[in-house]
Amino acid sequence: MTTRVFEKWYREDRLPHIFCTGCGNGTVMNCAIKAVEEMHWEIDDTIFVSGIGCSSRAPGYMSTDSLHTTHGRALTFATGVKMANPDLNVVVFTGDGDASAIGGNHFIHACRRNIDMTVICMNNMIYGMTGGQGSPCTPVGKISTTTPYGATEPVFDLAELAVAAGANHVARWTSYHTKELTRAIETGLATEGLSFIEAMVQCPTAYGRRNKFRKATDQVEWMRTHAILLQKVRRLEEEGKPIPEEHFAVGEFVHRQRPAMGVRR
Amino acid sequence: MQGNRACCEGALAAGCDFFGGYPITPSTEIAEMMALKLPKAGGTFIQMEDEIASMGAIIGASWTGARSMTATSGPGFSLMMENIGYAVMTETPCVVVNIQRGGPSTGQPTMSAQGDMMQCRFGPHGDVATIAVVPSTVQEMYELTAKAFNLADRFRVPTFVMSDETIGHMREKIVIPEKVDIVPRKPLLKGKLPFEADEDGVPGFAEFGRGHRVHVTGLTHDERGYPDTTDPEVHEKLVKRLYNKVESKRHEIADYDAVNTDAETVFITYGPCSRTVRQVLHDHPDECIGHLNLRIVWPFPEETLKIFANAKTFIVPELNLGQMVREIARHTTGEEVLSMPKIGGHIHTPAELYAAVEARK
Amino acid sequence: MKLKIDERRCKGCNLCTIVCPYNIFQEGRKLNERGIIVPVLDRPERCTNCRLRHLYGRQLCGACQMICPDQAIYWVEEDPYSEESVVIEF
Repeated sequence: MTTRVFEKWYREDRLPHIFCTGCGNGTVMNCAIKAVEEMHWEIDDTIFVSGIGCSSRAPGYMSTDSLHTTHGRALTFATGVKMANPDLNVVVFTGDGDASAIGGNHFIHACRRNIDMTVICMNNMIYGMTGGQGSPCTPVGKISTTTPYGATEPVFDLAELAVAAGANHVARWTSYHTKELTRAIETGLATEGLSFIEAMVQCPTAYGRRNKFRKATDQVEWMRTHAILLQKVRRLEEEGKPIPEEHFAVGEFVHRQRPAMGVRR
Repeated sequence: MQGNRACCEGALAAGCDFFGGYPITPSTEIAEMMALKLPKAGGTFIQMEDEIASMGAIIGASWTGARSMTATSGPGFSLMMENIGYAVMTETPCVVVNIQRGGPSTGQPTMSAQGDMMQCRFGPHGDVATIAVVPSTVQEMYELTAKAFNLADRFRVPTFVMSDETIGHMREKIVIPEKVDIVPRKPLLKGKLPFEADEDGVPGFAEFGRGHRVHVTGLTHDERGYPDTTDPEVHEKLVKRLYNKVESKRHEIADYDAVNTDAETVFITYGPCSRTVRQVLHDHPDECIGHLNLRIVWPFPEETLKIFANAKTFIVPELNLGQMVREIARHTTGEEVLSMPKIGGHIHTPAELYAAVEARK
Repeated sequence: MKLKIDERRCKGCNLCTIVCPYNIFQEGRKLNERGIIVPVLDRPERCTNCRLRHLYGRQLCGACQMICPDQAIYWVEEDPYSEESVVIEF
């Protein structure tokens, strides 16, 4: 007997997947599947939806019904699925470019409508599938193929955006924090209304390679050391102290009970 | 009844249970009417944030087994193109109503035009084959909308109702039939792969939540639905099947009226221009003027041109600078094809059309 | 229980080497037949899940399995009579 815990959720014939060596997306897939498993959801009642990009290849490896849609539009398709049949459990995989650039409008409106689904955004701070172009989440000063002199545009804070737009549950963790990420996704799945979980992931091929992370493990280490708990960030803000440079907040941003749409009948 | 309302009634009679839309003149009445009636009929109405989202939502809803529809006009139709291509690739049945207005761009929102006839056929990138119905009366708007759902479900393609402002905002008496034929989608049989075509080129529909565990992707995929983007054979086989499942059935799909089939001068029209030609025929009952009214323009029913065995001239009045006339010219064998374009928002007058007939005498 | 790395799936990213509390995973040195340097296991019998899973009746720790992006890490039930644990030396 082997203990491949969530093997039944993967399409065995499709693995190994196309993600590069050390890509964090596989880790986030594990966390999502573990969370779904903990919820005791049935494979046949669960739909994974995604757009285009590295992150969006994830549903193709999952043994449920899955919808791999057009770039940025995953949330619109998911809205259609959930509103037409609220008995299905809908989980959306998206990336930073997919959710915030081309799909920014759909993202804020899905949060506003608060449709009962869980959105997992794998934020690798870059467009990975097209070879490493700058995205709205590429930090200032970082190198990508379209920002060869360092990115100059301010970044989107996706979690804060989701809070402002009205999502019921918003959390951010990294692919290093697998336990916390799994728990955040699980809370999201259990929450009525839209849950947005931003998972910071390493992209060794397109991002790390150009930004002084020689190995995938280096970038994971960086995420571990540069993630500060949201509570600490708030405390620093209250005390009027600056947040250390390049650090980002992790934790549960909001958990509330705004009225939701498309809740199971 | 108003044309746009007839469209809603037709859709509801055909069992439409999901509408995702965005307001745009001159199609807004359809969304308004659906918002009023669909929830009471047990369906779902949702107003999306734009037309791209509307198209996405109806495709998503369609995969849960719903008969889904959206309505729009020129600018919104252009926005939908990407997802229409997705619907073609993933063989998602859905109905898109386009109440055409003057273009390009914002153009004439409250005026009539037929400028999107080529866009509905060649709009999405790549080789696609779709079905387009064009009503010329409010009665036809009702019937053809209902028919569009059946065609979409039978062939698993996005089907367009290419109406225009004239018919959409026209009020006419209509006869609502007791019952509208509903041909449901063919379900996926046990043991078949989700994209394995039957003899007619159309695979059974693997509805979400029924245990088919289907992977739906806009990437080139094999019969299991798994992406295979590098094998030229897989791509050729898939795209040719998607194309031929519609194009090879053009005889079956064709829907038209032919009047005075022995005439030498024949009008070929679709949509509101057919009304003007009917008036010309009514005003000149003694003259033998042929008239072919196309209710389905795509796939183009080329064999209908052969009905007019004595034809010397085909006259094609259109509310654009000549779009379908090119398709007609492509299929004629020696007959003269005369285009009568008209843009600006008004339709042809009977006198204008009759003058063209006079000139041929 | 016995800790295993599926060599057909491992891509050699070494993420497992940074999460194991016992540092069981060590960077490998040898290319396998797929041209990948798979991490090697240093005294895997120390693994918490290997030792205590049966006692507790549930999955323990599992940090390596969760972080492995390629779903390559798993455990097998040790069967005293299976080939895997019987080493025949001549």
